[in-house]
Amino acid sequence: MADPRVLLVDDEVEFLEPMKARIERRGIACNTATNGEDALRALARERFDCAVVDVRMPGMDGIELLRRIRRDFPSVAVVLLTGHASVELGVQGMDLGAFEYLLKPIELDDLLDTVRRAVAQQA
Amino acid sequence: MAQPALSPYRRLRGQMFLVLLCFGYVPLIVMGAAGLMANREAAEARMRNVLEAMVKNRRATVELFLETTRRQLELVAASSSVEQLSLPTFLEALLDQMRHDNGPIVDLGLIGDTGRYLAYAGPYRVEGLDYRDQGWFHEVLVLGRHESDIFLGLRRFPHMVVAVKKREAGRDWIVRATIDTDILSGLVREGGLESGADVFILNRAGEYQTKYSDSHRLMEKAECGPQPLHSGVRVTVGRQDGRRQLIATTWLRGDSWVLVAIQRAPGLAALLGGQSAVAALLAVGLVLVPVLSHVIARHRLRQIRGLERERAALYESVAQDQKMAAIGRLAAGIAHEINNPLAIIQAQAGVMADMLADDPASRSCSEFRERIGKIEAQVERGRKVTHRLLGFSRRVGHESEPVDVAAAIDETLSFVEKELESLRVRIVRDYAADVPIVRSNLSQMQQVFLNLVNNALDAVGDGGEVRIGVSNKERGVAVSIADNGPGIPPADLARVFEPFYSTKGGAGRHSGLGLAICQEIMRSLGGRIAVESNVGVGTTFSLWFPSGHERGDEGGVAGS
Repeated sequence: MADPRVLLVDDEVEFLEPMKARIERRGIACNTATNGEDALRALARERFDCAVVDVRMPGMDGIELLRRIRRDFPSVAVVLLTGHASVELGVQGMDLGAFEYLLKPIELDDLLDTVRRAVAQQA
Repeated sequence: MAQPALSPYRRLRGQMFLVLLCFGYVPLIVMGAAGLMANREAAEARMRNVLEAMVKNRRATVELFLETTRRQLELVAASSSVEQLSLPTFLEALLDQMRHDNGPIVDLGLIGDTGRYLAYAGPYRVEGLDYRDQGWFHEVLVLGRHESDIFLGLRRFPHMVVAVKKREAGRDWIVRATIDTDILSGLVREGGLESGADVFILNRAGEYQTKYSDSHRLMEKAECGPQPLHSGVRVTVGRQDGRRQLIATTWLRGDSWVLVAIQRAPGLAALLGGQSAVAALLAVGLVLVPVLSHVIARHRLRQIRGLERERAALYESVAQDQKMAAIGRLAAGIAHEINNPLAIIQAQAGVMADMLADDPASRSCSEFRERIGKIEAQVERGRKVTHRLLGFSRRVGHESEPVDVAAAIDETLSFVEKELESLRVRIVRDYAADVPIVRSNLSQMQQVFLNLVNNALDAVGDGGEVRIGVSNKERGVAVSIADNGPGIPPADLARVFEPFYSTKGGAGRHSGLGLAICQEIMRSLGGRIAVESNVGVGTTFSLWFPSGHERGDEGGVAGS
């Protein structure tokens, strides 16, 4: 299986920048976006296999972004990754078609493992 | 004395007692009084009838007595000649005969139209008496007869006179007799013997004509005074010494005498005595009402206090729930805010580790790597705290499923296998065979087990012993986790389930949330958790899980 292409969406650059570096170091193509609109533009521009989306973001939040991705880019698997865990959000996310609901902080290997499974299921 | 806290209750009980007493006594007394009144009226009506009949009867008796006496005298006058009557021996013989028949006549005399005795038989001395100027003398001469009131007269002794005129040879004589007033008094008194009434005769002036007892004297003014004239029998109600009395009067002998009967109304005792059932009922009521009032007041008060306690407990439980919810929200908020920086620290440290991994030649590499490892370890520690906080704040639940409790415990123990080995703690399993499968939430149950087992391991330390029991209890499963550690002092024991309350010092993974989470989970599972501890002996946590089969899927998602 070819390594997947991942889009990382989070409003904190401090988080995005090292994560992108670490993911790419493991041979996985990774782009970042700091908000929902940018993420949707990136998805429209390039092909991605998986989007890792923060839930709480200024402007369009992760749940809304998830809804749009499932509608406009159904081939892209979505993993929710957030520090703001709540059962409702988790249930809502899963209902809307998220592959998994993960809680920060998370070991990189665990995250990538989830991403691979998400992509595998999507394929 | 009572505790001060009891005094409002005591006062309330006193008030309640008094109110109940009033409620009991007022109707009882009103009914009793009404009954007595009715009773008295009935008794008085009865008495009135008896008095009326008695007075009529006495009037007839007295009139008959007087008439008989007069007729006797008339017979004497008619059947004997003046010549015979003038003979004292004849008169003596006549008087003897009359007295022999127990007649009322005391003496007998023949009086000429001069007003002087021509002959006399009797106990008094009559020589020289002259009736010429006396009213009755002329009354006899004109009307033919006379009956006097009781009077002292010339004999200076209360007596009554009956006289009739005898006409012979164109001249008038008078046959005169004195009547024994005691016999008349006796006749009248007799009527009151049965009923206990005072019966006597008064003249128009209100003077006693007969005696109703030996203590008073004839011709004295009666206490009741002169009576008004009326026909037939009249009964009035009077009062003497504060007591009601019935007074029956009837006039007789041509309205010159009045027969009076006075009877005192029956007293309370007499009225009650006549109605022993009512009296007994009243007495029982008077005794029972305070007793019942006391019992009811106490009972009601106990209920009130019970309700108060229940309400206090409810308040406490609600307050506890609110506290837990508030803490949950706070915990979640803190966890959220810390998770993001933790994620960044982790990512940054990760990048550094990656960079070092790319440049293994660097000399200081290994130390850097070591220190980055420490950063990552601390991030992991922070993560555990925040995740635990979140676990506490959300009462997450998946669907309930059939759970073999013993198997769940064994699986939980496998998580801590390594720790068990290094600590050399002995685990003693005491599983009953008949334990049913329960419907519950496996992962939540295991979280509870893990918390309690970890606590036990911390408590016993190296070389200790932890006993785990599983048994069938109350349509559910009971689990006990007992350690032989140092135990928990009573003061701490009461607070072990409070969030953030920890006796283990701040170090390591002990957030003080473990037992609070356990309690929360047990509550959401519909179970119970309790702790028992003796200092120096050990601590036992007891859990109980409902079988859950009749409860449906209550253990499902319970959002917060």
